[in-house]
Amino acid sequence: MLKGVASLVSRVRKLDPGHLRLGTQAPQSLAAQLDNQVSFESPRAISCTNENDPAKHEEKHEGLHYNLPLQDVKTVFPHGLPPRYAMQMKTFNEACLMVRKPALELLHYLKNTNFAHPAIRYVLYGEKGTGKTLSLCHIIHFCAKQDWLILHIPDAHLWVKNCRDLLQSTYNKQRFDQPLEASVWLKNFKTTNERFLSQIKIQEKYVWNKRESIEKGSSLGEVVEQGITRVRNATDAVGIVLKELKRQSSLGIFRLLVAVDGVNALWGRTTLKREDKSPIAPEELALIHNLRKMVRNDWNGGAIVLTLSQTGSLFKPRNACLPQELLGKEGFDALDPFIPIQVANYSPKEFESCIQYYMENSWLQHEKAHTEEGKKELLFLSNGNPGQLERLCAYL
Amino acid sequence: MMMKGGNKVLARSLMTQTLEAVKRKQFEKFHAAASEEQANIERNPYTIFHQALKNCEPVIGLAPILKGGRFYQVPVPLSDRRRRFLAMKWMITECREKKHRRMLMPEKLSKELLEAFHNQGPVVKRKHDLHKMAEANRALAHYRWW
Repeated sequence: MLKGVASLVSRVRKLDPGHLRLGTQAPQSLAAQLDNQVSFESPRAISCTNENDPAKHEEKHEGLHYNLPLQDVKTVFPHGLPPRYAMQMKTFNEACLMVRKPALELLHYLKNTNFAHPAIRYVLYGEKGTGKTLSLCHIIHFCAKQDWLILHIPDAHLWVKNCRDLLQSTYNKQRFDQPLEASVWLKNFKTTNERFLSQIKIQEKYVWNKRESIEKGSSLGEVVEQGITRVRNATDAVGIVLKELKRQSSLGIFRLLVAVDGVNALWGRTTLKREDKSPIAPEELALIHNLRKMVRNDWNGGAIVLTLSQTGSLFKPRNACLPQELLGKEGFDALDPFIPIQVANYSPKEFESCIQYYMENSWLQHEKAHTEEGKKELLFLSNGNPGQLERLCAYL
Repeated sequence: MMMKGGNKVLARSLMTQTLEAVKRKQFEKFHAAASEEQANIERNPYTIFHQALKNCEPVIGLAPILKGGRFYQVPVPLSDRRRRFLAMKWMITECREKKHRRMLMPEKLSKELLEAFHNQGPVVKRKHDLHKMAEANRALAHYRWW
């Protein structure tokens, strides 16, 4: 009977191929109806759910995929999602995220935050490829829907390595500026938070150089514009944005979410060198210095969600995945009271759901992948690791 | 033949990346096509791979035979495994030599495999050239003694 259901679902998809996005609604609603009927029969469930609003995701949605409208993806994630996920999105013409336990836990905490208390730090940690970055994206989507101001740094490791031009900072002689990375980030920040930029006013006068300055009371949008047009001052513009947002989030006009991926880059080493080949410590980079101030919990009115990442990290061993190992003593002390959330490999139910999702999109073309032994082989080879499973299924 | 210096890990990863590239390209075509053509578009990378190589196999080959002090190119039947070997060899040399310096092997190989699947492209052309040479030297077939 289940086989009949699966073939019915795939036949429905084949019938309206031109409307692939609308077409997903038909099998999903079919799936939601049949869900109640088949749920007691066996642990195999249909993998998508109709509930597209992250605020309403509950325990019962665990393991199911929900659809992210592509329009939202462009505004909420302009920096880009992880490259393999972006390829998958392009191939399937839709963005589907799985609802998993760590994300549900975080959503529960965020819904019950007390905004009068200092911002709480949540750190997502886990083995390589378990889904930390995508859980972070789930949280960001939730906060975007709830109208928070999102400060998203897609990968902090990109700021401490492979930088082409380092300028000596105009503001502080000891520090270094990174104009390219800062201007790119400002552009993306503008796309995400358009509506807040005109509402927030800065409360201090900043002087760029002898001829240009920004008066007190002008909007944050102007600071961002200045940073984008004058690339030399982009890093200082970023610093101003961060300082103002931190100061004003306690006032309660907006709620601030600071989301940093690969936060262990802030306290490690860099691969950048000065002209006399001596290495630069992270503190001497203005972007990193400002970000460290942001991640301290001396402000209220929002939350800080961080992800550790070994993949882009510098000078850290491959099997390091715990906070103490990746952050080092300095980082751990700086972040000290934080809530750690572990992201683990797929449970059997989630694994089954993932395979179902791939089969619904006919991603698994190999004949043996559809059989029970094929699934057992995939489970064994990937050990339930979402990243490995994705790479395996790519060529099957 | 993909492997160099015994680096099987690299050869394996190149092949898997090629299959993935073929699959993604076919999926793009599938989503872009109208419903009647969707049934004709093959998405399984393994069937495309096998069919492409079968389309590149020559039927008849040439062997240099020494007669009267001169070497003549004589048309000669090829065994199954020699045919498969030649198809794979031509495919790989084509991808290694005739590509832009920065183009990666999986990209180029996936492009060639898809063209060979549709009986177009440089490898199939090389097979046809071989057949034409064999046809042109038909008269020398008597020089073969096996």
